[in-house]
Amino acid sequence: MSGGGGGQGAIIAKRGVSLSKTYAVIGILMALLAVLLSSASGLIGSASVTGAPTGSQGPDLSTALPLVSVALQVFAAILFSAPVLLLYVYDKNNGVLEYFLSLGMTQGDVYRQYLKAALMLSSVLVAFEAIANVTAGLIGGTAATSLVVSALVAVIALPVVAFDSLIMMSFSSLQKQRVGSNQPLGMAIGVFMVMPAYLVPLAVPSLALTVDLLLAAATAALASVAYLSASRLIGREKLLP
Amino acid sequence: MPTLELSGVTSGYGGRPVLHDVTIKAHEPAIYVVLGLNGAGKTTLFRTIAGILEPYSGEVLLDGEDLTRSREARKRINYLSHYNAIPEEMTVRDALDFYAKIEGGSVDEVLSLLNLEGLKDRKVSDLSQGQKKRVSVAKVFLRERDLYLLDEPTSNLDPAVSKEIRDILLRLAKDRIVLYSSHNLYEARDVGTNLVLVRDGRISYFGKISDVRAREYRVGIRTTADISGMIDAKLGEGGYYVLTVSTPEEAGLALRRLVQNGVLVTEMRELDNPLQDLFEGGDTS
Repeated sequence: MSGGGGGQGAIIAKRGVSLSKTYAVIGILMALLAVLLSSASGLIGSASVTGAPTGSQGPDLSTALPLVSVALQVFAAILFSAPVLLLYVYDKNNGVLEYFLSLGMTQGDVYRQYLKAALMLSSVLVAFEAIANVTAGLIGGTAATSLVVSALVAVIALPVVAFDSLIMMSFSSLQKQRVGSNQPLGMAIGVFMVMPAYLVPLAVPSLALTVDLLLAAATAALASVAYLSASRLIGREKLLP
Repeated sequence: MPTLELSGVTSGYGGRPVLHDVTIKAHEPAIYVVLGLNGAGKTTLFRTIAGILEPYSGEVLLDGEDLTRSREARKRINYLSHYNAIPEEMTVRDALDFYAKIEGGSVDEVLSLLNLEGLKDRKVSDLSQGQKKRVSVAKVFLRERDLYLLDEPTSNLDPAVSKEIRDILLRLAKDRIVLYSSHNLYEARDVGTNLVLVRDGRISYFGKISDVRAREYRVGIRTTADISGMIDAKLGEGGYYVLTVSTPEEAGLALRRLVQNGVLVTEMRELDNPLQDLFEGGDTS
């Protein structure tokens, strides 16, 4: 192959967005909403992401909001990378994956290209979110919090997008009927995976940071297992139209 | 010169065999026409040779290298499936460039080769089925390979473009192996020198097309005179005098008799295709 895998990943990412701009637009809007939610903590009071309660009844919103915002920003990244899943099914149905195989690629090579594309797209949104977070933090006086939020988003979003993309590509490969349910299902799985990051800041704020980091580690491990097993367990014939 | 060898290959989908114990050896550079009814196993045969399907048993070798396992060997193949496999959201040039970045080759050359310059800036999704097929065929010619697997390359194409593609293949086949599937028996006979007949997942004939003989076939003769008294021919379809023969020599003898009787023969052609019998289940003897 004369083309580098990274170059192909970029082309696939671009193709995905050109095929379906809706997910990209919704992802950006959700990211902006999440950044606003995070910066709203500055209006409520002195923000802390250590999870220490301030003594009042109920969750401390100045702490909880930035952490809930992390989960929302991760979900925005999943949405932003969803066109790659759509493209994967489209390419399978049109014989593009079959052609890749005929060029000497293995099913693992094919998965890797689309995975790279999904990670590239989500990285673009994570970078955009980081800039937006820091800008909002500087304006609202919560710069330290915004840096922590940005770091948490990056640490959680990339493994979640990797795992979500891999299992949805596997699902789409195994699907016999040509139905377009893989993106909504991918979204649902993404929401389910990030669920602890939504709930724990509100229910047990003191554990929120720990739960977020555990979630990131567990998902990274799952994504690695999914990557290693998908190309072994799913035969080349499953990539045919 | 490349040698393609399949020995005892059984292959299929989901553990269900479609091809059964296929053994062929192609060592002569030529166009091998692959014929078979729908569902006979032609596409499965192509996918197995291309290394896309892993055979349940047997080997597929190109110059002794296993095409199922060797990535390098698979890079010596060009495979055209009957799916277009073209990113439809791209322009023609970008779509070809997409593949050129993976496998190399010159986009400008294939645009010129398939007369696609006028379409290069149009979106693939806006093209007609025939134009899409041309783009799909163009990607196969980005790089020259030792083995071409072409699954119905001229379907949806107009006769002029079909002829251009056949001419390209005839040039390539001088020192390469081209496997070419078609449903058109006349096209098959025109383009190919060798025949691979697939029936129910088995190879029922593998050999020279020129060796295929129908038991009987009809010859149509156009003349300026009534010839029904001179040879055993009756005026029939399309204004031809129809003569039934078993060998080309019989047809030649009939022609000689007409000429000796001073008849001006304006046209003489086979009305049946010898491949028809074979295709529909007859034998090759």
